[in-house]
Order: sequence, then structure tokens, then C-alpha cells
Amino acid sequence: MKRLIDSGLEQVSSMLIRMGELAQEAVSLSVISYIENSKNHIQVKDISANVSSMVDPIEDTIFEIMVRFQPVASDLRILKSYIKICYDLERFGRYSFDIVQIYEKLGGIKEPAFKHILEEMSENTIKMVKASIQALKCYDVEQARNLTGREEKVDKLYSKYLDTLISSKITKLSTISSLLVVRYLERIADHASYIGESIIYLSTGERSKLR
Amino acid sequence: MDNYVYRKFKNNLFFVLCFLCVIIAIIPLLSIIFEVVVRGAPQLSLQFLTQPPSEGGIGPAIQGTLILIGLTSLIGIPVGIMSGVYLAEYGNNKFATWMRTFNDLLTEFPSIVVGITVFTVVVLSIGSFSAIAGALALSIMLIPIVARTTEESLKLIPNTLREASLALGVHKWRTTVSVILPAAKSGLITGTLLAVARIAGETAPLIMTILGNQHFFLGFTQPMDALPLRIWRSALQPSAAVQAQGWGGALVLVLIVLSLNIGVRLASQGRLRR
Amino acid sequence: MRMLKLNSNNNAEEMLMENSVVTDGKMQSIDLNAWFGAKHVLKNINLSVKANSVTAIIGPSGCGKSTLIRCFNRMHELVPNAKMTGKILLDGRDIYANDVDPVLIRRRVGMVFQKPNPFPTMSIYDNVAAGLKLTGMKKGKNLDEIVKRSLEQATLWDEIKDDLKKSGTSISGGQQQRLCIARAIALQPEVILMDEPCSALDPIATAKIEELIVSLKRDYTVVIVTHNMQQAARVSDFTAFLYLGELVEYGDTNGIFENPRNELTEKYITGEFG
Repeated sequence: MKRLIDSGLEQVSSMLIRMGELAQEAVSLSVISYIENSKNHIQVKDISANVSSMVDPIEDTIFEIMVRFQPVASDLRILKSYIKICYDLERFGRYSFDIVQIYEKLGGIKEPAFKHILEEMSENTIKMVKASIQALKCYDVEQARNLTGREEKVDKLYSKYLDTLISSKITKLSTISSLLVVRYLERIADHASYIGESIIYLSTGERSKLR
Repeated sequence: MDNYVYRKFKNNLFFVLCFLCVIIAIIPLLSIIFEVVVRGAPQLSLQFLTQPPSEGGIGPAIQGTLILIGLTSLIGIPVGIMSGVYLAEYGNNKFATWMRTFNDLLTEFPSIVVGITVFTVVVLSIGSFSAIAGALALSIMLIPIVARTTEESLKLIPNTLREASLALGVHKWRTTVSVILPAAKSGLITGTLLAVARIAGETAPLIMTILGNQHFFLGFTQPMDALPLRIWRSALQPSAAVQAQGWGGALVLVLIVLSLNIGVRLASQGRLRR
Repeated sequence: MRMLKLNSNNNAEEMLMENSVVTDGKMQSIDLNAWFGAKHVLKNINLSVKANSVTAIIGPSGCGKSTLIRCFNRMHELVPNAKMTGKILLDGRDIYANDVDPVLIRRRVGMVFQKPNPFPTMSIYDNVAAGLKLTGMKKGKNLDEIVKRSLEQATLWDEIKDDLKKSGTSISGGQQQRLCIARAIALQPEVILMDEPCSALDPIATAKIEELIVSLKRDYTVVIVTHNMQQAARVSDFTAFLYLGELVEYGDTNGIFENPRNELTEKYITGEFG
């Protein structure tokens, strides 16, 4: 029999998944526009604004459920996790926006050496984002744990990019500013792993670190 | 429509029949009271109430009835209440079930049989009819009734009260005496007084035990007079004057019993209002 | 922290070692089994209650919660046909040993019931003092002081300090329950057992009593049976979940309500049954 709290949980869940899908799209588009020079920066900005606007309704609904139903155990863990995930998704949107802003002001990256690492990083990051949203949809603990491997990879690539940049001694503005973009990619990957941690906590009660 | 009229008629008919039965039931009672008052009232005077038969009064009988009520209560009430307490508080076993059955039997016992038994056991061994014998006989009739009403009153007290006291580490006997009995006080008093009022009017056991007397109280081991006895004897005399005395006695007895009943009712109402 | 598993080994010593939440409890049940006639209501309960804490016992109706605490103060045996096996230790000594007087145990382990049950024939003052007066423990003690202190601890003093002579039943339900708590603590027990103390009260009275319960743990050990899980979450330090007479899970309250180990516990506290 469906409990009173179940309809509230379903409502929040569908809002969060919708937010996740939008955030995922924003990340993909922003990375593509920076690397491949395609002109979808306005679209990204719209999507990002959309994502931000979803934060308040989701948080309000979550607190309303807490007040009305005094959830415990798995219900409580779900709601705790949702609050964190909501913040992580908002970060996805925000960083996408920031990436596109850099592209608008300073253009994309041209040096092949850098572009190569960037492409690899962005591929991994986008995969992580997709995996985290997928894990969210199905409470898939396995997929959440798999994010660890990728996160390490992204960290390594980040270090590699820094070393390459320092040793290359190139001082073009667009190259230096690519540091910021790489930083954003690394942060996006971090937040994807946070989402993974929240999924694990929600399902098993374990507090784990995927980094 | 027809059906409705018919059903209404049946309804009313039933009501009327019940009402008639009530009237039929009350008529004898009312006529008795009427007769007693009409025939007995003229007899009432201070002399009638306080002088011995030699002076035309029923003083000894009234005194005897009051002494009997006192003695019987003294013997019967404590025993009856303690029995009731046993049955209510400790009576969850087979022995108590048997006792309860015997108790109920005793309440229905023919009073003349009680009288004859006490005659054989007490009167013959003492050697004379006596007040003690009369009190004993009446006690035997009083105890089962008091035990019954005590048990009922105590059973009405919710178990939560017993539990509250026992949970404090109070012994069971103390719980019964200090918590349960006070809580059942009004029920106990009502039940006991009504039982006494009922016993006060018993005649058969008195015939074989106190015999009757023309004199005032002579001693516990001497015959004594009592109202039911005097009424009965007076009724059997041919003299109209003596019969009239009997009516007077009847009125006094009815008044004593009525006042006990009404007194109990007023007292319990007073308690309820508080 | 490991939970006590369903249907696991019956070795009491091992189970107590597993139950590393509480190792040296104020009260402990070891292999406790209880019956009402042929009905087996408690099955192999091994539970340890920590001193100066509030332990809640939750579970659906009829799972044996009340029976469990009634075994802790030897009230279970007062019911006809009640039977029990196993041990219950108070400060390490079995309260069911042959040389132990149950009445003395009940003075050390007090109880408050579901429906407030102050003694109706006594005043508020006498109610609080009843435990001392009726158990002969009042010798050499200043009753006025004890009554005041008990009522203060029960947070009732300010409300009724001018009405001590009023009848115990003339106050509101919530106040009556606090009176019952004062009555229990007047004896200065070591453990206070509470059987759904708030279920007959309104939310405001309930809140007052919940605050009182939390303040009591400074001086006493409290075990509270409740069917209200939010109440257990609010007031208790440890929670035990009973289902169909078995102890399914026992642990600190935060753990149980955030992440219960047993699926049955999870289902019960999230409201999927019960």
C-alpha cells in the first residue's frame, strides 16, 4: 500500500531527475562548444538558468515533506541525499555557464597538445556526469562505485595539463584561460563523484569517499 | 399506509400492556401500605412505643428488634465483608468457585430451616430461647448476602487501581485494606445496609430462637421480643385490641425498614453529588 | 555496533557479547520467555538496559512490549495463567531468584501505566505519599519535603502547590499522569518503567511528559514502551524493536532511525506495516 510520503518522494524524485537531465545537457553542450568551436553558448546559458531556477522548488518540497511526514531510515537518507545532489546539479549548471563565458570572451583552444588532453578530460567528465544521472535514476550503487576509477583519471589528466602548460611556456591569453576551463572540468567531475557518494549513502547507509 | 397504522397500533398496544402490568404489580404494595397506615397509625403514641404489653405498648418488641439488628450486624457484617473480600481479591481458584456457589445457595435458603437448625444447635444446648440464638440465626442469613454484595462492589473497582498500588511495592493485603476497600466504600455501605434492612423483617427464624417475651431485655441468654414476632402473635389473638396492637407494630416495622432504605438512598445520592 | 539477529544462536553469553551497545546494564534480561497460558508471547529476549538512559521499546500492537516490562518489575506473574522462564538481573542479581521478595523489587523498579490511575479516595498529597505510607517506609522521613521534591521533579509542583488537599482525581488527565509519576518517584526507585504513558493524553500534556522523561534520566533509568515512533525518536537514547515476541533489533536511537540494520525494522519504522 502506498504511504502518504511516497507521493511526495516521487514528486521530488522526478523534479530532480529532470534537473539532472538538463544539467547533463548543459555540461555536454558547453564542453563541445569550447573544444569544437560550435556556437551553442546562448543555449547553454538558457539551460543553466533553468537548472538554477529548479533549486528552490526542490528544496522547498523536501523540507515540506520533512515537516509533514517526519521521515526516518531510508526515507530520511533519500531526502538528505537529494538536498546534496540538488546542489551538485546546480554546480553542473553553473560551471557549464562559466565555461561558455570563457569561450565567448577568449575563444577556444587551438594548440594540438593541449587540445588532446582537454578532449580526453572532457570525454571522461561527460561520461561521469551521464553515469551519475543514470545512477540517480535507478539508485544504481554499482554504477556509482564505478565513478571512482574515472575520477582518478580526471585528476591525473588535470595534473598532466598543468605540467604541460607550465613546461610549454606559452603565454597566449586563450591558453592561460584554458586553465580555468580545465579547473571547471575537474570540479564537475568532483561533483559527479559526490552524487555517486550520495547514491551509495541513500541505498546502503554507508558514508564512503569516492576520491 | 395501512401497514403503518397497524404497526403503530401494535406499538401502542405493547406499551399499554406493559404499563398495565406495572399497575397490577404496584397495586398490592400500595394497598398494603395503605392498610398498614390506616390501621396502625391510630395506635401510635408515646405510650404505645415505650410501654410493655402489660401497659398496652410494644416497647419490648421495638427494643428487641433494635438489639437484634445491632447484634446481627456485629456478627454478620465483618464476617460477610471479609468473605466478600476473599472471593473478590483472592478468589481465582476452584475452592473459591465452590464457595461462591454455596454462598448463593445460602442466600436462597428457607429461613425456617435456618431457625430450626439454630434451635437444635444453640437453644437446646444453652437450655433456653435467647437473644444470642436469634442473632446467630439472622447472621447466618445476613452473611451470604453481605458477602455477595461486597464481592460485587469490589469487582466494580477497576484493576488498574490494584496494579497502581502493587506496582509501588505495597503488599496485597495493604492494597485491599487501604486502597480498594475505601474506593468501594459507598457500594459496600449501600449493599450492607440494604441487606440489614431485609433481615430486620424476617420472622421464621425468630420463632424458634428468641421465643418472644412480655418484658424488656433481660439478658443475652434470655428470650426476647421482636417486632415481627409480636405482629404475628398479635394477629393470631382473638382480641381486637391486641390485633390493633399488631397493626401498630406492623407500621413501626415498615417505618424502620423504609427509613433504612431511604436513608441509604439519600446518603449515596449525597455522595454522588459531591 | 552489531545488532541482535532474528533466530540466531540461543547462547545468552554470546548474544550479550554481541550486544556491545550496552555491556553492563542496570537491568538485563537473559533468555527471557513468557507465556499467557499456552500462548508464547516473549521468545528468548536478551536485552540490556543502560543506567541513567531512556530506552524505548517499540513494535506493533500485541508484540509483547507491555509483557516485557511487566516482567521487569514482577507484575507479569500476578496475572492468572502467566508463566515465565529466564533471568532478569537488576544490578547483576536475578530478581526471580528464590530468596527475592517481589514486593521489594517493585519498590526499586517503579511503574507508570497507560491510563493515569491516582488513588481516588486520597488527596494529591496523600497520593504522592501513598507509596511511603503504605509500605511502612515513612518512618523517620519528612513527608512534606518528599512530597514537594517529588512533585517538583514531576514538574507538577507549581501548578498544584496550593491544592494539595484536593482529590487526586480532580485534576486534568495530563496532571494526573504527572501525579502518578510523582507517586512513583517518591519511593526513589532505581528504574522507572512506563507503559505507553502518553497514549491517553492530548499533545500538550504529552509534550510536557516527554520533557519530564528526558529530565528524569539524570537520576533514574527509564524504560518506556510506546507505539508512537516519533516519541521514541524524541525521548530515547536506545531503542529496541519487538515483533511477534522477538527482539528484532536493539541499538542507539540515532542509528536505528537513520540506518536500521534489519529490513523488518526498516519496514516498521517507515510505516510499511504496523
